Amino acid sequence: MTPQALYLSPTAKLPYCRGCGHSLVVRQLSRALEHLGLPPRSVVLTTDIGCVGLADSLFPYLHTVHTTHGRSTAFATGMALADAILEPQGLKPIVMIGDGGAMIGLLHLVHAAQLNVDVTVLVHNNFMFGMTGGQHSALSPLNWVTATTPDGNWTPPLDLLSLLRTAHATFLARQLATSQELAGTIARAIDFPGFSVVEIVELCTAYGTRWNQVSGASLQEIILRQGYTLGAVETERERPTFRELYRHEMESPRPKRAKPGVPRLNAPAKLADEIRLVVAGTAGERVQSAAALLCRAALAAGLYSTQKNDNPVTQGSGFSLSEICLSPKPIEYTGMENPDVVLVVSEDGWKELQANGTVALCREETLLLLDAQIDAIPPTGRVVRLPLRRQANPKRAALSAIGAWLEKNPLLPAEAWEAVLALEPAERRAESAAALDIGRRLAGEGVASS
Amino acid sequence: MLAEGALAAGCRFFAGYPITPASEIYEVMMRELPAHGGLALSAPDEISSLCYCVGASLRGLKAMTATSGPGWALMIETAQYALMTETPVVVALVQRLGPSTGGATQGAQGDIGLAEFATSGGYTLPVFSPSNATESFELAVHAFNWSERLRTLVLLLSDKEVGMTSEVVDEEALQIPRLVNRKMATAKADYAPYAAQEPESVPAFAEVGGEIKATVTGSAHDAQGRLRKNSPQVIDVLQRLQRKIEAHAEEMALVRPDLDTDARCLLISYGVTARAARQAVSKLRTDGRRISFLQIQSLFPVPRKWLDGAAAGVEVVFVAEENLTGQYRAALTPYLSGKQIHGINRIGSQISPGEIARAVEGVMA
Repeated sequence: MTPQALYLSPTAKLPYCRGCGHSLVVRQLSRALEHLGLPPRSVVLTTDIGCVGLADSLFPYLHTVHTTHGRSTAFATGMALADAILEPQGLKPIVMIGDGGAMIGLLHLVHAAQLNVDVTVLVHNNFMFGMTGGQHSALSPLNWVTATTPDGNWTPPLDLLSLLRTAHATFLARQLATSQELAGTIARAIDFPGFSVVEIVELCTAYGTRWNQVSGASLQEIILRQGYTLGAVETERERPTFRELYRHEMESPRPKRAKPGVPRLNAPAKLADEIRLVVAGTAGERVQSAAALLCRAALAAGLYSTQKNDNPVTQGSGFSLSEICLSPKPIEYTGMENPDVVLVVSEDGWKELQANGTVALCREETLLLLDAQIDAIPPTGRVVRLPLRRQANPKRAALSAIGAWLEKNPLLPAEAWEAVLALEPAERRAESAAALDIGRRLAGEGVASS
Repeated sequence: MLAEGALAAGCRFFAGYPITPASEIYEVMMRELPAHGGLALSAPDEISSLCYCVGASLRGLKAMTATSGPGWALMIETAQYALMTETPVVVALVQRLGPSTGGATQGAQGDIGLAEFATSGGYTLPVFSPSNATESFELAVHAFNWSERLRTLVLLLSDKEVGMTSEVVDEEALQIPRLVNRKMATAKADYAPYAAQEPESVPAFAEVGGEIKATVTGSAHDAQGRLRKNSPQVIDVLQRLQRKIEAHAEEMALVRPDLDTDARCLLISYGVTARAARQAVSKLRTDGRRISFLQIQSLFPVPRKWLDGAAAGVEVVFVAEENLTGQYRAALTPYLSGKQIHGINRIGSQISPGEIARAVEGVMA
């Protein structure tokens, strides 16, 4: 097979209107590929929606992916990303997209430029949507007449290359479709390692020339009037490509992240039936991490547990709570139909439990352990008040409350706590142990029951 | 655990975008995938997330993304592309309260319709729905296996309560299905990318960048991947897309039945509500009620044989789910003719076992 026959089929009947710039681009792309001598199976032509999307059937030996409107760059980026981690690699995605697709898929162009994936994008800018009937696009020049701007366009055209320059694109070029240099520019773009974009300015002969007084020469004037340059190629060779960055990242030593395995002890918990408790307090006061510690200690002692956390969407303000089930058997329902124990260490926590209905679900036998600073009088339940916030660090009050509850209900063996505290980061271990002890001591003293 | 299941299934590519309550999957994949020789990446939006995954899958990698209802709404265009191009990919959809932005930190089972009926043409997207951490792991493997085997997008429909509740998992007891990989094209001559031997079978896959030319298109195409209008061959391909799923419906069925052959009523549930339902059934039986229970894990295609078997002999069927209008109940109703069907529904919080038991007794007593 001759090199020419590997790309654009010599017998191909181009499907474009007479004089349409797309025909020129397809031929120049084929010449560029011939010039580079790329094996056809190393190239994937990814086409967008529009007349430009008919190009893939013209290249019978290239991989072709015909995509959805504006998304061609994103699909091509996905292929390039995958190729970066595979062996052997060297896939070259080439995207063919129009000015309409470039705008609806602008985000994908920006991100591909940021990532510096090895993708070449050919933007076929004919200032309008052709296939759908000649509508105005974001790249239409001022005063451009289209089906949707019959009196001329009055919004300024988007300078796509400037925008992509600010997204760190490493290869930027703009050429007329009629330029003799187009094939060379496309070849340079394809050969360039990293993200490259060539904006090719052309005319839609179905609509553009029908409604606007334009010729090849005036096309150049329009571009220059917009302050754009033609023919120049800007490159930035210093930026590493995604492929290089990924390899560098993988070769760098990575911290080993051991899975925090909770040991199973031969010291079983004393729990015959499922128990459901709620721990509530203020965001940022380690309520949920105290609850997690309890669940881990329960796990070490052979129990099943579930923990559901809740907090306002802002994460770091207002209430914070955890709903916990502990059981000797696998747990089904994880909600709080009938809480057995409610530990509340701040006003924020109490208000939320009233608002979310937990307080109303308490029964006569529900244990409500409240911080002494909470004034509220629960409507039902066995209420115990302890000066947790005053005696312990408020940031540890939830863990102190858990310690106090377990002091009176010793369902977990001491070994379980030792085992999970040993897994805590060193700087936290002593604080956590102290918080538990304060709770145990306060409960032992039996302060202020009511 | 869903992320762990994906890793065990051979997922090597993940692209994500933050959204509660699916962000944990994203974070786990960002942390763990590199150690598994894979690539995880932050996408600039959900549309890009799924496009990147589809692109990576076309290049040959098993790929997944994770999102919630608002993100899935953006992905639907690309989901249809995956369906049309027969590109294997998995989407974990961790539901939250909708519509719109809804309640980011509130659970719901409100995206059944949005998930299953998301395609022009009404094609069946396989949907698996876990009810706990263990099932999240196991169903993730099933989801990848079926997406590879049938070359389709598969949805893992979780929800905030399943996805964000910490619970104990017995790793040694995990049932890890044998892994399935897509059938690759081998014959170089006369390979047709969308040709299958039978009207319900799956074509062999040619990866982009491989020795065999890949021809991929989301437009209506014939077996060769050529755009054709008014061609019976195109209609054949479009029909095969649905028939390949239907032909494997029974094999895809995954349920946890707890049946009583003398029961007069059947309770059906899925996802997080199945847990409350199982507890309710236990209580109802303790109180003397004869009741069958069917937890459905493979929501779509509807597991017809299991449904028929479970409903045989019962007069009344209850469907418990955390949405307003009974979305899955509506999907099951055509297959339950002659039965009295009741929905047990709620939004805003989990349905409790007591609520289900009271609803059952309210009708049966």
